[in-house]
Amino acid sequence: MKKKYIIPGILIAGYFLSGCKKDSAEVDTSYPEIDITAASAFPKQCGSIRRGEKFIFRASFHDNVELGSSSIDIHHNFDHHTHSTEVSNCNMEPVKKPVNPFLLIKTFPIAAGQKSFTINEELVVPADADPGDYHFMIRLTDKAGWQTIKGISIKLL
Amino acid sequence: MAVTITMKKICFLIISLFICSALFAQEYRLSGKVFGPLGRPVRDVELSLMGLSQSVKSGFDGSFSFKLTRRGDHYLLASAAGFALYNQKVSLRQDSVFVIVRLNTALHQLEDVNIVENRALKRQQEESMNVETVKRDFILRNLGGSLMKSLERLPGIKTIGIGSGQSKPLIRGMGFNRVVVTDKGMKHEGQQWGADHGLEIDQFSTAEVEVIKGAASFVYGSDAIAGVIDVKSPLPPAINSLGGAIDFIGKTNNGWYGTSLNLNGRKKYWFFDSRITYQNYGDYKVPADSVYIYDYAVALNKGHLRNTAGRETDLHFSTGYTKGAFRSVLYFSNVHQKSGFFANAHGLEPRRVDAGLHDASSRDILMPKQEVNHFKLINRTVFEFNGHRLKFDLGYQHNFRQEHSNYVNHGYMPPIYPADRKEPSDLEREFDKRVYAANLSDQLQLGKHELNFGLNSEYQNNQINGWSFLVPAFRQFTAGLFVYDKYKLNNNLFVHGALRYDFGNVHLDHYQDWFLSPVGSGNPQVYQHLTRAADLKRTFNSLVYSLGINFNKDQFELKWNMGKSFRMPIPKELGANGVNYHYFSYEKGNPNLSPELSYQADLGLSWKAEKWSVAFSPFYNYFPNYIYLNPTADHDYDYGAGNQIFQYAQSRVMRYGAELQLKLKLLKNLSTEALAEYLYAKQLSGDKKGYVLPFSPPPSLLLNLTYSADLSKALTNAYFSVDYRITAKQHRIVPPEKKTEGYGIFNIQAGTKINVNGMPVSVNLQAQNLLNTKYLNHTSFYRLIELPEAGRNLILSISIPFKINKNQIH
Repeated sequence: MKKKYIIPGILIAGYFLSGCKKDSAEVDTSYPEIDITAASAFPKQCGSIRRGEKFIFRASFHDNVELGSSSIDIHHNFDHHTHSTEVSNCNMEPVKKPVNPFLLIKTFPIAAGQKSFTINEELVVPADADPGDYHFMIRLTDKAGWQTIKGISIKLL
Repeated sequence: MAVTITMKKICFLIISLFICSALFAQEYRLSGKVFGPLGRPVRDVELSLMGLSQSVKSGFDGSFSFKLTRRGDHYLLASAAGFALYNQKVSLRQDSVFVIVRLNTALHQLEDVNIVENRALKRQQEESMNVETVKRDFILRNLGGSLMKSLERLPGIKTIGIGSGQSKPLIRGMGFNRVVVTDKGMKHEGQQWGADHGLEIDQFSTAEVEVIKGAASFVYGSDAIAGVIDVKSPLPPAINSLGGAIDFIGKTNNGWYGTSLNLNGRKKYWFFDSRITYQNYGDYKVPADSVYIYDYAVALNKGHLRNTAGRETDLHFSTGYTKGAFRSVLYFSNVHQKSGFFANAHGLEPRRVDAGLHDASSRDILMPKQEVNHFKLINRTVFEFNGHRLKFDLGYQHNFRQEHSNYVNHGYMPPIYPADRKEPSDLEREFDKRVYAANLSDQLQLGKHELNFGLNSEYQNNQINGWSFLVPAFRQFTAGLFVYDKYKLNNNLFVHGALRYDFGNVHLDHYQDWFLSPVGSGNPQVYQHLTRAADLKRTFNSLVYSLGINFNKDQFELKWNMGKSFRMPIPKELGANGVNYHYFSYEKGNPNLSPELSYQADLGLSWKAEKWSVAFSPFYNYFPNYIYLNPTADHDYDYGAGNQIFQYAQSRVMRYGAELQLKLKLLKNLSTEALAEYLYAKQLSGDKKGYVLPFSPPPSLLLNLTYSADLSKALTNAYFSVDYRITAKQHRIVPPEKKTEGYGIFNIQAGTKINVNGMPVSVNLQAQNLLNTKYLNHTSFYRLIELPEAGRNLILSISIPFKINKNQIH
């Protein structure tokens, strides 16, 4: 009759032993950071960009372990949707129908092994794009797959 | 090679079964258990068989047993002070039969107990797997917004909440396509993979729910890797009866009201059962003035979550014929649900919502919203002869789901929806799934063996529509062949063994974008309709097994089960290719995935004394190739519109955990209960090595104090019960989850049965989240946007049974 206790006994013992064991490797649970507070960062919330002229997208990225990659998405906000993560609201033009809205989606890989990186990318908005309210979304991942999104409201002049 | 071994194993099993059955000894046994109206065993009940001189008394656990010399029909009588006299016809067709005797308080009320179907206790005592059975009373007492929410009180069961009216089951932290839900014996097939897709089941039509915790692929086939929720339909009504019940439900939090009317009847052999359910609810309230979606503050109007209102209309009709050893039932049901998505967070993208429009009414359902219609037609036929129990099920299901949302040009979609497109501009997604299934099985008594074998087969055809693409259309055929043996070594020890072979074939359709995307960086820029999904055919084979024991002696019970389970990769895992705007993720399938395998060992130990009981059920689970959606560090430009790539991958995973239940009777009318659960999961290889699995519930403990008594002849089964649920923090997370803090909430349940003209009217009152605590649920669909759970909610449900003529069993 004792036999019947052997298997459950082993299972229970295993259960308690493994339950007490500390996790050997700490995993990364921190999000990467997008910093646009520096004076040289561009664009900034409620900022504006001139059509037909070059501008430099500049922001600094940080992560506690290793950065992954970044991506930007500039799209119109003529319908007044919002995913801005900035607190302040900007003065918006009235809702309008897009005719030739500017759309730019671009990914920027980050070289392996970096904890900090300042992105400097020259971009240009065509002169014939619709002016008005736009969103400038920055997406940043770290090596572990955590993603931070920053949405900035801008105007094309 | 694998197939040869399979055949050898099957032959060996079958041969050994025949050898064992030679040890067959002739003796007939009628045994059972006696329960009181509250479901507790009753001792010292006098049991006798009409026309025979034998009489016995029930033991401390309510059990009794007769030894008989002939098969055939017997009349079982049970009597005890304070209880109504009980009689029941028992048909002894096999060597032994197990009867559950439910005594009612002295007030005369007969219940038709069907021996063939009512196997809850027998299963509990002979099954080697962890089975929990809950009855309608439990559901009424703990009624939540959906059936799964109502089951959440069971240890090891959690839900992925989607607003107030819908939720998905999680068994020991696993859900979606890892849990099988069966309804009327058929696997319920909707769009289980989606976190925002609830379960299309009417909880009022549920007579009994059986929850199997642990791998059960050997019976249910692919998907039953974490467990099974078996929703059982009501038993046929008593002979010459016509009656039913009307249920009312009301909830304060979201102005929920609902009603369900049931009418059933039976002549001698023919019976019918019908039900109509209607539920209507408004936007639900959370104890917060604003919520933060990606750090963006959204002000709430009096705590209302905009556009979370919903409606549900369900129709059921079944009719059947039952005579002696033959029964055939035809079930028809149609469940229709319509509900809004939280307007500020559809796609986790807080669009500039027209707050004025949404706040004008808390009951309207505007965009974005979902609408689902689930139609079922099932025939179940059971035929018993010469120790065989032959079952044949045929089923047809049609799940039609539409997700409506105003057109938004994500990625490279044109800024304005083209007028010449056939699909309406507000149809974001549509899934149109038709499922045909046929199951055949035989249960055979061979001496001490109870042998089950059979065949399951199913064909699915899933079409898609809408301006957004995530998963391609597909057709799928699956079939499984199983043999399951329960060997009774002696009265205390049962040994279980099972073997199952499955075959699956899936064909994913080619899909091309309806809009142009820029390809490469040439000058001039090239634009193309991108191919999202290529034509894909995959075939899967699998052999799974299970071995278990059940040992019962007096107050002690031991269950042990181990086995291998499997799951076929679903079309989403194989062929997804699109942006899921709920998570800003570009989800990419992996056409090369292999079937997910799982090895699991379960143990159940319990000790039941007169005044207390304890049950402990630990488990260990290992996956050599768990399929998961891996958030990578990359962004995709070509197909993913600049979003983060989430790619399906496979890794080794280890999980273990346990549930513990303690019950103690403090005084005659006062009892206390503690239910605890713990789960640990860890990925052992791959990109997320060291991380937990997504949606892992934190440890939790439920403490309960219940007063129950029969207050008077008119007020019986009265109860007052307080639940305090303490949930620990969950800091073990995997991208893209967030750490969730712990919380404690109080729930109160009270109720009674009021006897009105001999009919027990059941009144149940609940206060959920009594203190209006603001907390986040780690396994909620809306957890990522920091949405707190529903605030205080008072729930009143009334169930009024009625009989149109007296039933005449005597």
